[in-house]
Parts: sequence; C-alpha cells; structure tokens
Amino acid sequence: MSSTARADNQGSNDTTMPESMSPHSTEDVAGGAATISPHAAGSHAKTWRRFLVRRFKSLAISLVLLVLMTFFIVQLIPGDPAEAIAGPDASPATVDAVRAELGLDDPTLVQLWDYLVGVASGDFGESFRYGVPALDIVMAAAPYTVTIAFASVLIVLVGGVALGISVAIATRGDRRRWLGTAFTTVTSVFTSIPPYILATFLVVIFALWLSWFPPAYTLAYGFWQSAILPIAALSIGSIGGMARIVRREAAVVEEMDYMRSARGWRLPALVRYGKHLLPNVLTTALTLSGIILTALLGSALIVETVFGWPGIGSAVIRAIAEDKDYPVIRAAVFVIGAISLVTTLVIDIILGAIDPRTLGEEQ
Amino acid sequence: MNTTTKLPPGRRLRWNGTLIAGIVMFAIVALIALVAPMIYSGQAATLTGESNLGSEPGHLLGTDALGRDMLARTLVATRTTVLMALAATAIAAVLGVGFGIAVWLAPPRIRNLGLRLIEFFISYPGLLLAIIVAAILGQGAITAVIAVAVASIAGFARLTANLASGIASRQYITTARLLGVPGYRIAIRHVLPNMAEPMLIITAQAFAGALVEISGLSFVGLGTQAPYYDYGTLLADSLSKIMTNPILLVGPAVAIIFVSMAALFVGDGLAAAANPRSNAKQAQMSARVDEGSSLDVPTDAVLVADGIRVSHIESGREIVSDVSFTIGRGEIVGIVGESGSGKSLTASVVSCLLQDGLEASARRLTLGHTDLLGRVPQAELASRIGLVYQDPGTALNPALTLGSQLTDVLRTRLGFSRREARKALIAAFKDVLMPDPEGRLRQNPHELSGGMNQRAMIASAMSVEPELLIADEPTTALDVTVQREVLTLINRLNSERGTAVLFISHDLGVVRRLCDRVLVMQQGQIVEHITSMDDLTVERAQHPYTKQLLAATPVVNVDSMEDA
Repeated sequence: MSSTARADNQGSNDTTMPESMSPHSTEDVAGGAATISPHAAGSHAKTWRRFLVRRFKSLAISLVLLVLMTFFIVQLIPGDPAEAIAGPDASPATVDAVRAELGLDDPTLVQLWDYLVGVASGDFGESFRYGVPALDIVMAAAPYTVTIAFASVLIVLVGGVALGISVAIATRGDRRRWLGTAFTTVTSVFTSIPPYILATFLVVIFALWLSWFPPAYTLAYGFWQSAILPIAALSIGSIGGMARIVRREAAVVEEMDYMRSARGWRLPALVRYGKHLLPNVLTTALTLSGIILTALLGSALIVETVFGWPGIGSAVIRAIAEDKDYPVIRAAVFVIGAISLVTTLVIDIILGAIDPRTLGEEQ
Repeated sequence: MNTTTKLPPGRRLRWNGTLIAGIVMFAIVALIALVAPMIYSGQAATLTGESNLGSEPGHLLGTDALGRDMLARTLVATRTTVLMALAATAIAAVLGVGFGIAVWLAPPRIRNLGLRLIEFFISYPGLLLAIIVAAILGQGAITAVIAVAVASIAGFARLTANLASGIASRQYITTARLLGVPGYRIAIRHVLPNMAEPMLIITAQAFAGALVEISGLSFVGLGTQAPYYDYGTLLADSLSKIMTNPILLVGPAVAIIFVSMAALFVGDGLAAAANPRSNAKQAQMSARVDEGSSLDVPTDAVLVADGIRVSHIESGREIVSDVSFTIGRGEIVGIVGESGSGKSLTASVVSCLLQDGLEASARRLTLGHTDLLGRVPQAELASRIGLVYQDPGTALNPALTLGSQLTDVLRTRLGFSRREARKALIAAFKDVLMPDPEGRLRQNPHELSGGMNQRAMIASAMSVEPELLIADEPTTALDVTVQREVLTLINRLNSERGTAVLFISHDLGVVRRLCDRVLVMQQGQIVEHITSMDDLTVERAQHPYTKQLLAATPVVNVDSMEDA
C-alpha cells in the first residue's frame, strides 16, 4: 500500500480517505487458510524482497519523471524562453547569455541529453543570480525546510494519535456527548486555518504581543527558538485532522472481532485501548502522516516566507518572482520532489515492518 | 436501471446541522461575491488621507497604506477570489474526471500506466506543482488559476478512477458489459450518476483548497498582481504592516478561514448524511419479577438462566423471549437454530457481553452462587467464564503475538506475573496439543492456520480454568477435518475437567456428536428441548421446525466419522 491520498493543504481531507487506506477492509487475509509455520520464515523474506523490488522500481520511475518535469519547466515557457527569462528590458547580449547557459540553441533532444547527463552528476547549472552551482544553493536551504517539515509531522503523529485515542476512549459507547461535539468543533476550526494564516496569527500573538519568540528567522535567538513558530504554524491544523481520523478509525477498530475478544477477557480499558487497539490504529495514522508530510512540504514553501525562514520555499519563490533564476528553480523542484518520494518509501517500509499485511501485491 | 437515481431507492438525503451550516456559509460567500463589488467598490478604491488606521468607527478593520478601507476591500475582493477558485475547481474537475474515466475505460496496460501517473502526481506536494506552473507561465492571476487547477487534477482523477472501478464491479454493470453496451455509454449512464455524492464532497473541498492555494500564491507574490487584488494580496499587504497595524490581517484572514470552514462543514455534513451515526444506548441487564417460571433447577446446576428476554432499547422490539435453561457440572448443552434465531444473543446475555443498543432481563441468571444480573467484579467474570468465538482469524488481534494477547487476561485479571502467565499459557497450549508451544507464543495469528488459532483461543479460554465455557459457533469457519479436531478437544476438556459447556451451532450434525442436551431456538424462543441425542432424528423430533432443520442437515454417520 503506497501513501496515496493528497490531503488538501491543511491535511483535513478526511472524508475522502480512500478505502484502501484502512487495513481493516482487507481483514480476510488473516483468516481461514493462513500459511503453515515451517514455510512462514521463507515466504516472509520473499514477500519483503518482492515488496522492496517493486517499491524501488517505482521510486526510480518516479525520479525519472521528476527530472523530466524539471527539464520541461524551461522548455514549456511560452514564446522564446531566453527572452522571457532575461526580461523585457534585457539587452540582446544578456538574452544570448541566458540562451547559452540553458543550451537553448541546441535541438530539444540534445538539450534533454545534456540536461540528463548534468543532473546525473548533480549539475543543474549555475545560478543566474549568484553564479554558484544551483544545487549548492538548494542543498544549503534544504536542511531548514526538512527540519520544520519533519518536526511538524512528528508532532502531528504523536499529538494527533494521542488526542484522537483519548477522545475515542472518553466518548466510547455514547459517553460524554458534549466532549465529542466540542472536539469536532475545535478541530474543525483549526483544520480550516491555512498554515500561512496561522503563521501570521502566531507572529502577532507570540512575537509581537508576548515577545516570546522572534517574528522572523534570526541567529540572535538560536535555531530552535526561531523554528518553534514555523513548526507550530505547520502542525497545529494537521493535529486536528489527524486526531479526527484516528478517533473515527478507533471507533471502526472497536467494532472488530478481536476487540470483542478483549472485552470477553474483561481486560481493563487501559490495556484494551493502549495495547489492543492502538497498534491497529497506528497503521492508518502512519499512512496518513506520509500524506500529511507531502502536504506540509508544500505549505512550508509559503509559511517560510512569513517567517523569513531560509529554506527551499523562500529560495524558490525568490527565484521565480524576482530573479527568474531557472537553474535554482529546477534544482529546488527536484530536491523537494525527491525528499517527498523517498520519505513516502521510508514510511511504506516502516508500515511493512509494523503490519506485514501491507506488503501484499498492489491492486 | 433508472439513470436519474443518484441514491439507492429508499435512501434520502438526511439533513443535519453541519451540512446546513456549510451550505448557508457558502450562500453568504456567494451573496457577498455578487453584491459587494456593486456597493463597496468605490469605497474600496478611494484613497484618503487616513492611512494606516487601526480599528475605529467608520473603518472597523482599519485602513491600508493608501488610506483605503480594509473591510470594503475584503468584501470586494471576494468576487475575484471566488471566481478564480471556481475556475480552478471547474478546470480540475472536468480534466480530472475525464482523465479518471478515460483511465478506467482504457485497456489494462494503459490503465495501469494512467493509475501510476495519478499516484505520482498525488505523492507530490500540490503547492509545489502550482509553483512549477507559475515558474513556467510567469506570475499573474490566470497563472495562479491554471497552476492550482493543475495541482488539483490528480485528486479528481484518482477519486474518479477509484469510484469507477468500485461501481464497475457491481452486478448490473457487469451485465451491461456482457450485453455489449459500449464503455462510454456505461460511464455516462451508470457510473457518473453513482458518483454524485462523493464528487460533491471532493468538489466542495477542492474549491476551498483552490481558494486557499490561490490566496497563498497571491500572498507570496506569484498570483494576482496590482492594481487587481484578492484575499491573498490583501493578506500580503497587511503582512508588511504586521508590526505596526496587525488589525489589517483580520479581514482577509477571516475571509479565507470562513470559506475553508464552509467546505469542511459541507464535506462533514454530507459524509454524516451518508452514514448516520448510531446513537446506541449503553446495554442494560436487569432482574425481572413475574410469574410463569416453569424451570426445574437441578442441585448441581452451574448456570441457571430463567426467562431471558432481550429487546431493542430504541424500538422496544423483543428479539429473545423467555428463554430458560440450566447447565449442570460437566454437561454440554447445545443451542441450535438458524441465524437470527437469538442463540448468539442468549449467549451474550449469559456471558454479560450484551452489545450496546439492547437491554436484557431475566427472572434469574446465576453462575454458581453469583447473580450475573447484579454488579459482578470483572475479575470474577474473567476467571469463571471462558469464551470461544466463530472465526479465530478475526477474533485474534492481528497486531499482537499470541503470547502477548493471550496472557493479558491472566496478568490483568488473575494477578499472574508475566512469567507465570507465560508458563500457564504454555501448559494450556500443551493441553490442546499445539506443537511447539513456546514457538507459538512468538507468532502472530496470520502466521498460523485457522485450526491452530482456534486451539490457541480454546487454550486461552481454558487457561483461566473457568466453570463455564461458552463456544459460539466455534467450528463454523473451519474446514471439516479441523472441525473434528476442535470438537474432540472441547469434548476431552469437558470430560477431564468437568467444565460446563454452552455450545452454540447451526450444525445439527456437530451438535448431535458433542452435546448432552439440545435446545432448539426459533425466532427468539425455545421451541424444543431434546434431552437424548437419540431423539434428534426427523422421525422422533416433536416440533416441525426441528424436523425441518434435521431434514436440511446432511446425514452424518457418526461411526464412520470416528473411524476415519
């Protein structure tokens, strides 16, 4: 099962969660004619090998598609790309320089070949603005973006699961209806606030009024001090979305036969929910966190500009809006896409380790 | 098939508060978009000397650097913003649904390729796709619309492909295909109408998403350019004044959140309308005092159930009426009947596990000297009643090893240490003749066969040394040879330990072989009580229903089964 759905930019798209995301729709795998033990170990390794081969193959294809996409960013510019990039006021000499740097005089196939050869050795061309390799600029910015995006997803996963399960326990069997209503209302409000707007609110409240954190990235405050507001802006809305889905999923799992068994053993609520229910909700939560990470990487691009955060988002937006710095745009698009693809794969592998049923053939 | 039917017959849209709130909010937005530019566009564009005002009478949300009223500008910007978001959503919906249908109609090879392409674009941050388009086309309002549309196509395409393949596997579509109806006609007449509801949800969300993303692009300067303005550019303007005049944020921020929330409410409301939540009241069990007990209670009875009644709390409908029986020490009592006859419900009352939404009462329900209708400590129930279920594949937790889940009851309710519980479970595994009991503890249920899992379940039930074992169709999900092993096992444990057994089954052949006495249930009542297995034949059974059940059961020659 690959992480598939695209949560909308707030990660709140829970009503369109595909059926296949729930491991419980394929419950019958564990039923009747299961494997007999002597062969289990062997078939296990085989399943893993097949899974890894399949996933790495699709990663390779996706990376190739990604590189092609970055190539066509320049090719698809309407009219003469060189003139468009150099701008209306550019001298013919500048236009020619741009054309030469991007190799636009060559036939398209030759350009593509040169581009692919360059990318294979990590060369996306030199930045028009800074005159250094574009990839260097992007790689210098990448850790900033990766840090806030990954920290946010971790917070969403832990916070969302804890909140969702707690509310599921507290409202089980129609208990505390007021809490259920309050939970739905509050999470609705928070998932509806786009991260970049939440970012502006956070700046006003915590930087301007309370002065707890700097309003923008500055070394004077230290890295994490500056990172807290961007991380909060990215994660708060998605925590609500995650908690809603975890709560609903917990209610689905609660109806499973094995939860009836747990009640039949008269296990205390803490053991029932903490040990028997939680791991079965975790599969869904992890799958969802992969989707949320993808959405957050997108949101981070815009949130970064609010905080002047020196990540890929700030770099790529400056490159488009001000500098027309296409080598940097190409490198940035590739790096973000690659991070998103690799993370998806890593999450799928973790999922496979937790719940081997997800290793099965696709379709 | 009526092509205009969007919902299955008998199902009507259930209105709920969330859905109504969402629709009303959308209507407000539409009204503002329609009317505000006519009324306020003058005020929104008027340059005054009163620049950078905070909130004050006349300028509730302040004025911008050129002295223009922010509230008026926000209201006027609604039209531009909504139109851009609508355009992006419409483009994405048409192209996405078209692509999804095309993928579904295509031959398998191309279909797989198409699905892969969709997955690729979906696993890619939507906003980055939008930024790529902005990089290609240069910044501007039209670019922002196209960019956001491109970013949303994959979502529509995937939903369409998923729904289409789901609907396509339905019976009537298969029939239409076999009859030679061309693919595109099936798509238009049958598939599209059936997707209306989920499409409405995703469209509402895509619209809100488009509005948020377009505003985001304008916010960072890639969208609408001056002198035109939308929510995003207003937000960007106010961000530049955030240190001195934060009130300017309120207008555009609240506007964006408002639309976003409207879409969420519509989505949630429609989803809730499709699957109304059951408000099942908590199950109740109570004692009942009335005449009419005809139960003859033997002195050695382990379980006495006198006059069990079960009914639906909401409708008051009675599902089990006046069921009485006893089980003596070492006795195996069977309950047979077709599904829906109330046999499993009877068992759930006896095991104090009645599901929510139901209430039960009885004149008497005792296990030994304990009144099960009163408050019984959970530990006592856990140690005195053992339970075995129909399908061991689903009754065991797939995420936990057998050792981990089956020792929980010993550790939490019987006070065993981890090591003692392990030892007790291994002993129980040996008792049910599981090969390699230590190794089994470390395995997950899906690594074992159904028969092995059922043995483990029985071992676990017996590990607490219960007085009563309740087995609800324990062999139904197993194949015939495994069935026999499980039956032999229950029989042996019963005779070795004297555990009383309540055995529920619809299979008279199985019951005949195992039980001492049999109760035949039909429509919630006991219609016949058979005390000797010799009477369990078509000729000797009294009640017509029993005869009917027996006639429907293939003749099983018990002797040849034992020999085989």
